[in-house]
Amino acid sequence: MGELKRTQLFDVHVNSGATMVDFGGWEMPVQYPTGIVAEHLYTRHACSLFDVSHMGRLLIEGPDRIKFLQHVVSSNVMGLDLNKAQYCIIPDEDGSAVDDAYLYSYEEDNLLLVVNASNTDKDLAHFEKYLKDFDCTIKNITADYASIAVQGPKSKDMLTALAGGQTLTEPMKNALNTLMMEGREVRVAKTGYTGEPLGYEVFVKSEDAEWMWNRLIELGAKPAGLGARDTLRLEAGMPLYGHEMGVDPDGNRMPIYAVPLARFAVSFSPQKGNFVGREPLAAQYEAFKRINNRDFSDITAVPRRIMPITLLDKGVMRAGMAVYQGDKQVGWVTSGTMVPYYVAEGEGLQTVILEETAKRAIGMCYINSDILEDDTVEVDVRGKRLKAVIPPYHMRVDAPPFARPILYRAKAEAKAAAAEDRLPKAITLLNKALENHRWRQQRCINLIPSENTPSRAVQMLGASDPAFRYAEHKKVKSFYDADIFYYQGTKFIDEVEQLLVEQMKQYFGCREVETRVISGQMSNAATFSALVDWKNRLDRKHDAKRLGYVLNNHIIKGGHLSAQPMGALRDYIAVDPVTERNAVVNFPVCADNIYKIDVEETKKVIDKYRPELIIFGKSMVLHKEPVAAIRKFVDEQKINTTIMYDMAHVLGLVGDSFQKPFEEGAEIVTGSTHKTFFGSQRGVIGVNYKPDELKYGLWETIESRAFPGSVSNHHLGSQLALLMAAYEMNQFKAEYQKAVVESAKHFAKCLKAEGLNVAGDPAIDYTETHQVIVSVGYGVGPEVAERLEANNVIVNYQATPDEEGFTASGGLRMGVSEMVRFGFTKDDFAKLASLLADCILRNKDISEDVAKLRGEHLEMQYCFKGEEFEAALNGLMAELGV
Amino acid sequence: MNFPADLKYSKSHEWVKMEGDVAVIGITDFAQDALGDVVFINLPSEGDTAEAGSAFGDVESVKAVSDLVSPVSGEIVEVNEELADAPETLNTDPYGAWIIKVSGITETEELLDAAAYEAFCAEEA
Repeated sequence: MGELKRTQLFDVHVNSGATMVDFGGWEMPVQYPTGIVAEHLYTRHACSLFDVSHMGRLLIEGPDRIKFLQHVVSSNVMGLDLNKAQYCIIPDEDGSAVDDAYLYSYEEDNLLLVVNASNTDKDLAHFEKYLKDFDCTIKNITADYASIAVQGPKSKDMLTALAGGQTLTEPMKNALNTLMMEGREVRVAKTGYTGEPLGYEVFVKSEDAEWMWNRLIELGAKPAGLGARDTLRLEAGMPLYGHEMGVDPDGNRMPIYAVPLARFAVSFSPQKGNFVGREPLAAQYEAFKRINNRDFSDITAVPRRIMPITLLDKGVMRAGMAVYQGDKQVGWVTSGTMVPYYVAEGEGLQTVILEETAKRAIGMCYINSDILEDDTVEVDVRGKRLKAVIPPYHMRVDAPPFARPILYRAKAEAKAAAAEDRLPKAITLLNKALENHRWRQQRCINLIPSENTPSRAVQMLGASDPAFRYAEHKKVKSFYDADIFYYQGTKFIDEVEQLLVEQMKQYFGCREVETRVISGQMSNAATFSALVDWKNRLDRKHDAKRLGYVLNNHIIKGGHLSAQPMGALRDYIAVDPVTERNAVVNFPVCADNIYKIDVEETKKVIDKYRPELIIFGKSMVLHKEPVAAIRKFVDEQKINTTIMYDMAHVLGLVGDSFQKPFEEGAEIVTGSTHKTFFGSQRGVIGVNYKPDELKYGLWETIESRAFPGSVSNHHLGSQLALLMAAYEMNQFKAEYQKAVVESAKHFAKCLKAEGLNVAGDPAIDYTETHQVIVSVGYGVGPEVAERLEANNVIVNYQATPDEEGFTASGGLRMGVSEMVRFGFTKDDFAKLASLLADCILRNKDISEDVAKLRGEHLEMQYCFKGEEFEAALNGLMAELGV
Repeated sequence: MNFPADLKYSKSHEWVKMEGDVAVIGITDFAQDALGDVVFINLPSEGDTAEAGSAFGDVESVKAVSDLVSPVSGEIVEVNEELADAPETLNTDPYGAWIIKVSGITETEELLDAAAYEAFCAEEA
């Protein structure tokens, strides 16, 4: 093996007892003494190191670097932001893959392309054919840097420890960062080839390779070789060049669109021009679309595609084995082996990963395009036909921090319901509802910040007659904008709605209010719909142009889904043709306080993107939003935009203790009426446009997008109830809001004093709202929240801004407003903090102490009392049979 | 690497232990090490005929498949079915994890003693 190339870590591998093999001209470790199975499992439950220094690292520099890459790789390089990476394929002129690669943007003036080791020379020769037309260079820096993949659920902790606690990267996949670790420069990428939801690839200078490797081993990582790398990527369903790409066992070149990832890796953006392989790829894309619509009439461009395959009979599949349906060969196995996995038990979030392991025979296949998920096939395993099935996938990574093996289950057919007597069920339902009501209202301390118990009067009104009625109405110009109702019997609710609108105008300090929307999410959807309609009001002959750019809070940084493309914004947000992504940009947050918007950086973002809509507001909220500062900036800069504040969480805090959105310069305020506000569960929209202003037309559009745009029946019972809540709020808001903010600050300080890790800025006592956020440890949020529920405390587990998603939550989000309403004093919150510490830190049973504390506070405060009020309420209750 | 002196060895890396006129057959320490993690074994059935120099089954490791070659001809009178559920025993205890027992032996391949087999392995490595 004398002529083989060696990485910077060769000696380390040999000294660790690795079995070295020839891999694409490199002498690489295929496994270490513990073996592939142990290495695979250690990656899945802890953290493994893979030497990937053999992979080709090509630095593309020069003014035409982007143009060149747009021409020779499949992806849209204009969609690659600084400090982001993207997967791409290098197509040949026929639409087959020369290689697949990862493109990294670490610096403004160059791009790093990482290619397969054995293809590096071939790729360079391929690029050489096109390079002469572009003013840029390719520098092969493979030997200058070493690269180590650090993969597995513990990878983040280990690398963070090595980085002295610095934030490694943004939590999103493909995020990059350059940082100093122990005096050495390390380029970190949140990428990998194991499917691990927590996995990084790091680049260090060659002389730092051994330092990085050895330090991570000291921190608990273990080495893994090419064998485990292959079983891990196979389980994750990731393609390997030479197996799932390149030449098939018949000797034909496989089309790029045979690989499911092509869907994301190939762009036909006009900016890419006539890039290499564009025409055949476009034909493949058409075939791909037909196939996915189950139209197999013309699949010549993609005759076969790569699918996962699971063996149902006992045995092992290997690459090159033929796949049959009946007598007909329908494809080939492209990769196959037996992979180990940890057995899990339990359902949903309570799923527990056991120490017990098992194995399963899985693979990938290149199979006729008309074969679908759940189809059964046979694999010829050395002359024996073994039964196999096409599963949807082998593994899922949407519940971090662990990759979850998915064992094949046939889809169950729904059974026809048998005849039954429902009376016993009805009685059980009533009994259970009573039990739940008593528990929640008498024994439970509810700290969900988006909830509140309404007063008895609000509850009773919500159950009274209008709850079953309709009251569609619309302003009609012929009658000087008088509201015209379509049904009779609506005079009472007409009056109620007018009174409610009046109360909400007083509350917000604004000119117009819409109360027919029945949720906060609907408030936003109706507003977005109106903004699109308003934008297109002068052109009804074309498809309506969507909104873009929109500036909002990122969901991971506390933004609510009702202002995200995944939520209410989805059908109203444009796609930026340059990046081919949603035209959304996020508020930058302060480096030293990820819960707070960085105003100066925000100004730069606004200046660059000129957003037509700015949406303040979030669901994980500790700070006031900088509405006034941004209003001042956009006015000074004469930026034509609309400032909206989604106050869902803090709607009940509008006033001196928190923020006055319209005074600060918001044009539109939306929200839900049942979080810090006292109401029944509804939405509300307020605006401050004057009738003589141009944008008053936007207000009229909002009204029409509420009705008839969003609701026909606007839930009259809860609208009536909301009027009472608005009376209560306007009457008691000064004391209530002060108590909420002061209690939250006090509760946060007490939790901190009890030894809990309270998030936020100690200088402001951690919070300016009703919310308090406590970090309980990465990924354990759901477990702690479940434990608290068993102890009669209801909290919300929450991913903090540096975590990957809800199953990786390390935070508990708590709100004090409901308990403030039940009369909790500062002393009560101090007691509660001490109980929570007992339960969270010491695993003590606090259930009876909690029930006792709650039992002392059953009477609602900040609501109307007195003989005359009680008499009127009792009259209504008697009529309702309460 | 372990080469017990009381066993005989084939060049295809099986070991044979004679218990009276019954040949007990397994794979060697060298074989299991070369295979890596064994994850599956295809076993023959009792009553099948074993033929010297021919495969009587195969073992699959994570990396590859490998035939199990019988060093003797005769009738397979016992099969170690426990290996079907725990093929990794071939890695952890290669000389304890026998695979088949053959009796009525009509033909035996030329087998090596421990020293000769060790030398043979050294050459192969």
